[in-house]
Amino acid sequence: MNEGEGVRRLVLGLVSVTSVTVAWESAARYGLVDPLFLPPPTEVLATAVDLLRHGYRGSPLWVHVGLSLGRALVAFVAAVIVGIPLGVMIGISPIFAGLIDPFVQFLRPLPKLALIPLVILWFGIGEFSKVFLIFLSASLSIVVGAAAAVANVRRQQIRAGKVLGAHGFALFRHVMLPQMAPELFVAVRLSLGIGWTTLIAAEMIAADAGLGWMAVNASAYLRTDIVMLGIVLLGLTGYVLDLAIVGLQRWVTPWAGRS
Amino acid sequence: MVAPLIELQSVSKCFRAQRTRQETWAIRDVSLNIGEGEFLCLLGPSGCGKSTILDMLAGFEGPTEGRILIAGEPVGRPGPDRGVVFQDASLFPWLSVIDNVTFAPRLSGVAPSTYRAQALELIEKMGLGGFENHAPYELSGGMRQRVAIARAWISNPRILLMDEPFGALDAQTRLEMQETLLAARGQAVSTVLFVTHDIEEALFLADRVAVMSRRPGRITLDIPIPFPRPRCYEALIADPAFSRLKQDIVRILRQEIVARRETDRA
Ligand SMILES: Nc1ncnc2c1ncn2[C@@H]1O[C@H](COP(=O)(O)OP(=O)(O)OP(=O)(O)O)[C@@H](O)[C@H]1O
Ligand SMILES: [Mg+2]
Repeated sequence: MNEGEGVRRLVLGLVSVTSVTVAWESAARYGLVDPLFLPPPTEVLATAVDLLRHGYRGSPLWVHVGLSLGRALVAFVAAVIVGIPLGVMIGISPIFAGLIDPFVQFLRPLPKLALIPLVILWFGIGEFSKVFLIFLSASLSIVVGAAAAVANVRRQQIRAGKVLGAHGFALFRHVMLPQMAPELFVAVRLSLGIGWTTLIAAEMIAADAGLGWMAVNASAYLRTDIVMLGIVLLGLTGYVLDLAIVGLQRWVTPWAGRS
Repeated sequence: MVAPLIELQSVSKCFRAQRTRQETWAIRDVSLNIGEGEFLCLLGPSGCGKSTILDMLAGFEGPTEGRILIAGEPVGRPGPDRGVVFQDASLFPWLSVIDNVTFAPRLSGVAPSTYRAQALELIEKMGLGGFENHAPYELSGGMRQRVAIARAWISNPRILLMDEPFGALDAQTRLEMQETLLAARGQAVSTVLFVTHDIEEALFLADRVAVMSRRPGRITLDIPIPFPRPRCYEALIADPAFSRLKQDIVRILRQEIVARRETDRA
């Protein structure tokens, strides 16, 4: 994407977001929808200011955001550390793949909500259970992506590496890994989305703070404005995380898609 | 008489298709010797097994039958003592030009001071001066191929294996590359096996041309190319001996293609 295209996309994005926000505000203000079902943006903003000042159920707003982000980030880092080597081993060794793959394929499509009772039973209702749930869904998708990345390494590049003297681990480190890197980033990026989605499920485990918990808790009291605020913040934070990954990808693998 | 550097002794290679399990004999009973310092061009119709021979010499594949010896020893695992230049350059896109060129010596763990000057000189000689820090995707196809040659050359390989290295280039660039190759080789005379489709290219470059039959490939013609070096392309194509050789080879390749049509029809 060149610079002009980037600017155009930014402008288009701003135009569309502004239009939707204005339409949403007008709909609520002119009585087209009941503010209980759809509180206008100005009210959500006022709620945000209020929660920043006075907090929600004992925790300031930034603690909710920070806590959710912290849980997700710890889970992601763990998922990358565990998932990439596991996926690469599955991709390289057919025997290892045969042994491990059934479990990966069984767990991956399983809705993580179904695991909540078990996770509580095993690990209790503390932070570990929440992080574990996010970790589980994120790492499974990284494993699958990393295994696919190994399969896509080009034979010609392997041959070029071998004939230049790279064998065994050196071949992996200097030829296969760099070639897989762009795809590994894609896998991490997808898993970020999946893991972030699991956050609400994770925070349903007897949490008393966090964005997901805040939204679910507020709905019980018909505080639609807080529910809305929680949703907007969840979406925005997820968006920022995604941008960060894309930025990191451009920086680490500038050759991606150009060879 | 000294033993040739490369010996193929009644070599056959059979591939088995992964899904159908059907057997294909790529080459059958090929015997070929290449002497130290010789430049051999391998010509032949598509699919006759030229790349297969090269892959076996590089050590990527083993023969199904027969023996392949290099300096009297069976072919070992691939390594920088046998440089390979592929048709599509196969550079590492995550490395700059200089890092691609110095890939093999860096891996062998010797101090950069021992190869850096040589690498820069080689890059200069290949006409890539000033592009050391460019990425491969910032180069033209011809420049990429020159980096690939420099990358194979820096280890001073005893044998250079080239599989249609200039096949994807336009006629002008191709000629330039051929001249660069001959000039660069002038100093360090290594043994070269060069696969090509282009008869003129073979006659311009080689000391000897071997022509293969259609699949399963055998060597049907093995002739020395007598033109003295250094060769000048313009003078060469004006030489009647050049045209005669070219016609002979065209005739043999044609017979191959006609024979294939007939067997296909039968
Ligand atoms: N990995 C493989 N598996 C199965 N068959 C193969 C394999 N590699 C080559 N072959 C077969 O061997 C034959 C020779 O292939 P090869 O690539 O050596 O031909 P070539 O002479 O280099 O052709 P071209 O000029 O088109 O590059 C082909 O007909 C192909 O069917
Ligand atoms: Mg070929």
